[in-house]
Order: sequence, then C-alpha cells, then structure tokens
Amino acid sequence: MRKTCRRTTIAIALLAFAAATVAAEAKDKVKVGFIGPLTGGVSVNGLGGRNSVDLAVRLRNADPKSKYEYELVVLDDECKPNVAVQVATKMAADKDIIAGATHYCSSTAIATVDTYHKFGFPVIVWGAVLPDITYRNKYEEVHRVNGTMINQNDANAELISKLGFKTVAVIHDTTDYGKGHNEYFSKALAKIGKSNIVGIFGVTAEQQDFTGELTKIKALNPEVIYFGGLTPIGVRIRSQMDKLGVNAVFDGTSGIVSDAYIQGLGPLAEGTLAFREGAPTEKLPGGKFFMEKYSAQKYDNPPEAYGAFAYAAMDMILDTIEKVGPDRKKVIAALADVKDRDSIVGKITFDDHGQNTVPVITKYVVQDGKFVEWDDSEYAAGKRKLPGQK
Amino acid sequence: MPGITGHDGGDPDMDAGLLAQYIMNGLMLGMMYALVAVGFTLFFGVLDVIKFSHGDVLTVGAFAALATYVGLHALGLNSSWLDLLLMLVLSTLAMALLGMGIARYLVMPLRSAPALNTLLITLMLGTVLRESVRLFYPQGANPKPFPALLPRASIDLGAFNLRLDNVLMLAAGVLVILGIQYLLNRTKLGLAIRAVAQDEETARTMGINFTAIVLITFAIGSGLAAFAGVMNGLYYNEINFGIGLYLGVIGFSAAIIGGLGSIYGAILGGFLFAGLQTIGTVLLPFASAYKDVFAFAVVIAIMAWRPTGLIQEKISERV
Amino acid sequence: MAQKTRISVWPGVISLAIGTAYLIALLDVERQNLIIALLVFGIAAVIAAAWLGLLDSVSASFADHEDTLGGCAIIAALAVAAFFHENHFVLLLVITVLLYSVATLGLNVQFGYAGVLNFAGASFFGIGAYTSAVLNSYTAVPHLVVLVIGGLLAALAGSLLLLPVLRTRGHYAAVVTIAFALLSKTFLEVNDVLGGPQGMQVKGTRILGWSFNDNITICSVSLSFYMNYFVVSLFLLVGAFILVRRLERSWIGLNLDALRLDETAAGCFGLDIVRWKITAFLIGNFLIGIAGALFGMVGGFVAPNNYTFADSLILVSILLLGGIGNPWGLIVATIIVVVVPEKLQTIQEYRFLLYALMVIAVLLFRPEGLLPRPVRRYFPGWRP
Repeated sequence: MRKTCRRTTIAIALLAFAAATVAAEAKDKVKVGFIGPLTGGVSVNGLGGRNSVDLAVRLRNADPKSKYEYELVVLDDECKPNVAVQVATKMAADKDIIAGATHYCSSTAIATVDTYHKFGFPVIVWGAVLPDITYRNKYEEVHRVNGTMINQNDANAELISKLGFKTVAVIHDTTDYGKGHNEYFSKALAKIGKSNIVGIFGVTAEQQDFTGELTKIKALNPEVIYFGGLTPIGVRIRSQMDKLGVNAVFDGTSGIVSDAYIQGLGPLAEGTLAFREGAPTEKLPGGKFFMEKYSAQKYDNPPEAYGAFAYAAMDMILDTIEKVGPDRKKVIAALADVKDRDSIVGKITFDDHGQNTVPVITKYVVQDGKFVEWDDSEYAAGKRKLPGQK
Repeated sequence: MPGITGHDGGDPDMDAGLLAQYIMNGLMLGMMYALVAVGFTLFFGVLDVIKFSHGDVLTVGAFAALATYVGLHALGLNSSWLDLLLMLVLSTLAMALLGMGIARYLVMPLRSAPALNTLLITLMLGTVLRESVRLFYPQGANPKPFPALLPRASIDLGAFNLRLDNVLMLAAGVLVILGIQYLLNRTKLGLAIRAVAQDEETARTMGINFTAIVLITFAIGSGLAAFAGVMNGLYYNEINFGIGLYLGVIGFSAAIIGGLGSIYGAILGGFLFAGLQTIGTVLLPFASAYKDVFAFAVVIAIMAWRPTGLIQEKISERV
Repeated sequence: MAQKTRISVWPGVISLAIGTAYLIALLDVERQNLIIALLVFGIAAVIAAAWLGLLDSVSASFADHEDTLGGCAIIAALAVAAFFHENHFVLLLVITVLLYSVATLGLNVQFGYAGVLNFAGASFFGIGAYTSAVLNSYTAVPHLVVLVIGGLLAALAGSLLLLPVLRTRGHYAAVVTIAFALLSKTFLEVNDVLGGPQGMQVKGTRILGWSFNDNITICSVSLSFYMNYFVVSLFLLVGAFILVRRLERSWIGLNLDALRLDETAAGCFGLDIVRWKITAFLIGNFLIGIAGALFGMVGGFVAPNNYTFADSLILVSILLLGGIGNPWGLIVATIIVVVVPEKLQTIQEYRFLLYALMVIAVLLFRPEGLLPRPVRRYFPGWRP
C-alpha cells in the first residue's frame, strides 16, 4: 500500500509539473504551421518546402523589428489524403497555431480544405496545383500562392501539338491530382485538335508493376505517353517502358519536376518533358536573394521546384500576423485583401477564391541529367531529337 | 470526365506477340512470388510458424545488394558480372545471417506462446526492418535506381520484347528452385530438415540437432529472399523500402493456396497468383486496376474449395 | 491475498485514479523530452508494479468488482473529457481510443472467445465508415440508424467470408481474412464511385436536429464540438462492453470457450461448432462496423489508406498487447497504441520504429499481454 501511495504522489507531482509547464509557455510566442510530405516518395519536395518555410521564419525572427517570436510547427502529410486529414485536424485544432503554409500534393490539399474551413484555420497552399482546391468551394480560409494545373496543361498540349505528335496515351494516378491532370490535358489537347488520345489508364499511386498497362500501350503504339502523377510512379513507369521496349516521348507534369526523378532514372530520364507554373527559381524577382539565403543555412536538401512558393506563402503569413496580430479571424480578413503584394515569386494577388494568378509556365526537358528550360535546350535547337520527333 | 480507371481506347488486338509478352510478364512475377513463397513454406515446415518479416528481409537484401554495388563502385570495380556476383553472394550471406538471428532471438523464444504471437512479433520486426531502411539508408525514403547489370540485348518481335536479361533471370530462378529441391530431397541436410518438419520429437530422438536445423532452414529461406530481392531490383531497376511488404503478403498467400509445407505447393501458388494477376489484366480490359481484387477473390474462393491448399497437407485431428 | 474470498476494491480504484491522472498528464504535455520522461516513468512504474505483484491484485480487484469499477472507469473517462473540454485534438484522440476499443472488443469476441482469426478488422471498420460516408451524403437516413446499418453491412460483408473461414483452420483461416483485407482496400482504391484513393468527405452527425459539428456553449463555458461525439462514443463503448461481458459470462460464452480450446472435443460433446463460429464472427463484425461508422462521422473523411492491412494488424496487436479475452486489458492497450505514437509525433520519423520495438519487447517479455484474461469463474467468489 505504501508503494501505491508513493506513486500517487509522484503522479500528482507530475501533473502539477505539467500544468506549470503549460502555464510557463504562455509567452509572447506565436506559432505558425507547415504541412508537407516529409516521408515517402515525394519527400524531397516536402523537405525543400519545409526548409524554405523554416528560412522565412528564421529570417523573421532575426529581424529586430518583428513584434513576435515565431515558432514553426511542422507536420508530415506523407502525401496521403487520410494522413493529411489527420495532421490537418491536429494543426487546425491547436488554437495556438495561427496560420499555416500547407501541402505539396493536390490529393492531400483537396482532402483537407473542409477541415480548415471547419476549424476556421487560415492556410496558404504552397505547392498543390489542382484548381478545385481553391475553386470547388469558396472557403475564405484557403489561399494559394502557386498557380493551378490548367495553364501548364495548356502549355503541354500546345508543345506536343507543335512538335507534330499525333497520338498520345494517358497514364494518370487515380487521386484527384491525376484525374485533374487527365481532365485538363485532354481538354487542352482536344481544343488544339491536332493529336488524339488513344488510351487512358488510371493507376494507383502505390502500384509497382505497370507491365500490364504498358503492354497494352505498346499495342496502341502512341508517339507520346502523357503522365499525370508524381515522381515515384513516374520513375517506375519510365523505367518499365524501357523494359518493354516502349519507345515514346515521356511527357510529365509539374509532379515530376524534382531531382529525385533524375536520380531515380539516371540516363533514362533524358528527353522527359515536364511543365511547371511560375518562372524557374533563379529567374524569379527574388530568386537570387532566396537562393543566397537558402544556401547560407546549409540545409541538407535543395529547395526543389516549389521552395520559393513555400517561402512566399510563409512570408505572407508572417507579414499578416505582424500587421493584424496573432488572431485567426483577423488574419483571414487581412488575407482577403492581398493585392499586388510584392514577394520573391513576383506580385501576388488573391482573387475572390484566394487564388493567386501565375500566368508564366516553364517548359522543361531533361537534358544531360538536368531539367533544362525547353527554349534553351538542344532539343528545341534541333541538335537532339526526342523519340519520334520530326 | 473521360474513363477514369481502365482505358477507353479500342481493345488492342490480341495477337501472338502480345500474348507472349503477357506470359513473359506473368512468368517473371511468378518466379519472384514463388521464391518468396518457398521461404514461407520452409519456415512453416520446420517450426510451424509464419515469419511475416520475410518480405522485409527481401527489401533489406535488395538494399544490401545495392549498397554492395555502390561500395564496389567507390573501390573502382566496374565489371558487371563481378559486381553482380559479389552483390548476390554478399546480400544472400547477410540475409542468411539475419534470418538465423531472427530465428534464434525472436522466433524460437516464442515457441511455447500462441502462434499468433510469433506472427505478430515477426510482423513488428518487419516494420523495424522497413523503417530502418527508410531512416538509415541514405535517402532511404526515396525510390532507388537499381543498376541494370545483365546484358540488355533484346529482340523486338512485334508486340513482344524478348529480353536477354529476363531470360537469364528466369533461368537463374529455375536453377535456384531446382537446387533447393535437390538439397531437400537428395542430401543429408535435406533429410534432416524434412525429418524436423515431420516430427520434431522423433527427429530429436534420432540425434538431429534441432536448433541447428531450424537455424539452417531460416538461413536458406532468408537467402532465397535476398536472391528474390536482387531479382526484383534487376527486373524493375528500382527498389524502395516498401517492396517487401507487398511481395511478402503475396508470397504468403501463394504459399497458403499452394498448401503450406509443400515446396511444390509454394511454387505452384506463386505462379498461380502471377497468372491470376495477368489474366485479370487481360480479361478485364475496362478495368485492369481490378486485377488484384480479382486475384485475391480467387484466393478466397480457392480457400473455400480446398481449405488446406491445392496440394493438401495431411492433417489429423488430435482428440 | 489469493485466499480471501472477497478481494478489496481499492487496488482497482487507486490504479484507475493513477492511470487517469497519468493519462491526463501525458495528453497534456507538449514538450518531447517531458513526454519521453513520462513514458519512461510509466513503463518503469508498470514493470515495478508487475515485479511487486501489484498488477495481479489490480486485475483480481477488477474481476471481483467489475460493476463498481466500470462505473469508476466511466467517471474517469468523463474526467479526462472534462479536463480537455476545449481541446479539439485531445478529445479526438480520446474518441479514437473509445471507438478502437469498441472495434477490438468485436475482435475479442471473434478471436478471444471463439478463436476465429480476423486479420481484416480494419476492412470491416472501413465498411462501416464508408457506409456512413455514402448514406450521409446521398440519403436522409437518420444518423443513428446509419450507425446500425454500418454494423449490419460489416456483418453482411463478413458473412461472405464465412464459408472459407468456417472450412479453414489456423494459418489457412488467417490467409482468407488477409486476402479479404487486401482485396477490400484495393477495391476501394480502384472503385471510382466511392472516391477512389482520394476518399470521400463524411457529413457530420445530426441527431434530432442537433448538429454535432458545432461548438457548444453552456453558461459561458465553451465545449469543443467533439464533446458530442465523445458522449455517443462513450455510450457505444459502455454498451459494447456490457454486451461482451454478458456474452462471455453466459452459456454462449462458455460454448465459445469450449469451441476455442478444443474444437474436436466440443464437437464430440454436441456443440454446434458452425453455429457458434458464425454467431461470434457476426457479432464481432457488427461491433467493428458500428464503431467504424461513427468514426467515419467523427473524422469527417474516409479513404482506402485508412483501412489497410497494416491497420488491421494494429487492431490485432491491441488484442495481443492487452491480453486476449480480457476487455479491460483491451482498453488499456488501445490507449497505449493510439496515444503513444501520437504523442511521439515530434520525433515523427522514428515513431513507427519505436512503436514496433516496443511491441516486440512486450511479446518477448510478457507474451500473455499486459492484463491476461483471468480464469473463468463458475460461481461468484470462486477461484481456482
């Protein structure tokens, strides 16, 4: 019995200690959040975004003029809708976190918008490209600094048509992300009307073996395989195309613009097309500033394709909190008025759905193990040829 | 929105080349499944346990081979055949040791506990192995390119792309299975393993070192997993930390539908499962994504029809 | 102690109080090193208690004073909820614990009593959740009825598996349910009508016009909207617990035990094996399905990846950790399995690794689970 008493004492002491800790933490600290894929196949993009956001917070904390001390809460959505809803609930349910820069994967972003709305938690999406994220509902909590996938698919279809390819097979993942790409690409291609889609294949994001689909595609003999999905299965499909002797142009989306794609494939990556909204980071208005500061921090990973957007999203959140104070409702109200705001990715204007307009699309082709802008590439100059290119 | 799953293009003509390609795809898959399934059968034979970390041992084997390759390159060795040989030998040995360790420290101590505990502990070990690869292999969370070390010559026969590397891998797989079969049926060691599998008590009284046989069996089975892992890497040219989970579950199902405890059953089960998946792809033109649903549904149906697997294990009721 | 016919109620009450205080502390603490310290302390305390034999007197006390202690446990749950009445996330965790407990009680009926393996627990949980997703979105079926339909559908899906499950034994039966787990996840993933891998939104519960998704304010005290779900979940758990307990003590439970321990002998004594296996399997699935249906509404979102084979394994590991056949142990194990990985979130990357190592340790050193099922007592106060 004495032992039990002793334990009760300890438990009570711990309780008191815990309560004291909570009380002690109530300083003038403001918490802001970041959600992205930190594990799994697209983790490099998530880590790049995390580092960029971390950079924004660090620079702000180093600024003597800032009114608050910011603490960054980082959560991992694993690029899975179900995990994303869990972590989004966790973040939004924590009243101490004022706002967040969230999501690289469209499938996770679209799954969580209702959660953010339910909890009244202001977010700025930093990397997901599905239009529905901002346009399906009119949630005042949800904003986005990067562009949607519509423009990149227009540019994609235009390039394919211009290069004279007539037949395209589409492979897309069956999340909303892949379906969205399929939808907008098909529309864009039909509008131009020069090439046909000969087959559409939906694949799951965790699929390993694509020989069945690719064997069918081989029989259809398309000139181009359009791929609407993310890096991990992009790598698999491209390498299994080679195994089965499928000789077509591999035409990807912003989802494969990542160093992991090239590392995963080695020389096989050569000649892959990809598209992304926004200018390349080094050509952005604040690109040089961003890259200098980023390399000064000596992060393990590069910022990747969307790092600059993540930085801009967090910077805008911090600006807003500085202006209106750490209050979710006021932050939401202030974000509604963002117009022609300067940022490292150029002027940002949120429309009535919280969507920024990013008209510039960068066309990439992989050349010698790098994503090179199409217009600067040897392919555009005619020195090299894509498979089947006239 | 146009067709979401499957494709809405015309159904491609089913010519001979296409058929050959499907058969080749199915055979490659089947070989990998069979190699994994044989491991499950061996473990079940000697200890009556399901070692669920088997699939993840495969993953670790594949990564060990990849690490060997990277190491050899750092040393400046660049001969494909030598690379391949060393990768196979090292990863097989390493996994054999790992398998023995698992048997010695996790499986055997739980012999008196319910069978479910063994299943669970090996399952958790699988998680540990998988997570360790993800966390401790450099950039382990990302898919890793696996070098194509076999000659890549190929003949394009219409829709059929006959590749030398696939043929070599199939041949190697057949040789390994024949080797295992020879070992089990024609050697003293095999006799001992079979004796232990049949009746532990009697085997012990006959002077067989039970522990040693169990450890050797686990070493053989885990070595096979490493072989299958390397084969998987060579076939897909990509490995990731999750390959073992899927292959493990399929290998287990294959061993079960074949009939646990029978090596032929495992092989049959492996090829049968791959066949079902391939048939699923071909026969469900509108929805090839349903091939796994189809394959597992057939597995359940087989279990309803032959409750102890296709090659029936002899069971007697202990009253 | 063992000689006494009547065991004191106090070890149970005190352990419950300590457990509750510890749980509140653990849920409240945010700092990682403090959490780790608390966990280490907790593990050490439990090991010490086991060493001193205190755990046995606790379980004896629970066995003797189940009704009293059950009431105390309800009060403890209410205390936890009251402490965190405004904290959405902690309440969500608590609800998760409650509903997972209901689901594992279902598994317990199947495996713990009847000895029927079910490695597809998460799939049946998912069937319940998808039922509420579909019915809440497309129909006006009252939400309490939706819960029941969720349970019924899970039982119905389970009955598809009955033929192979009944014909097979041991590992062969395991593969039937494993195959079903993989099949159902893949099916949900490729089936576009149910949202594919993207999943579906689930509308919040409404009962008699009371919307569960609004925060509550009673006399200037504001409560999280999760409080609504908490109350329903607690009712569900208490109901399920009583049902399972009555079942275990009744002659049905006796039949199930006989069947599990020796099927052949039970058959020889004239027990209808098939009938009892079916009963246990369906009751179990029904409980899992109801819990799933409510959990779908709580989470507001369902996706195939929530109901994978790995999740089924988590359910089974709860069963083993807690001690097969002991409902009290199950609840403790559920708390551990749900809360610990969640609290270790900030060492995010390593949480699965640590969790797996922990389960391995428990299996090696306490293979019968944390709170093993006590021997059945045939008369009140009787003990072997």
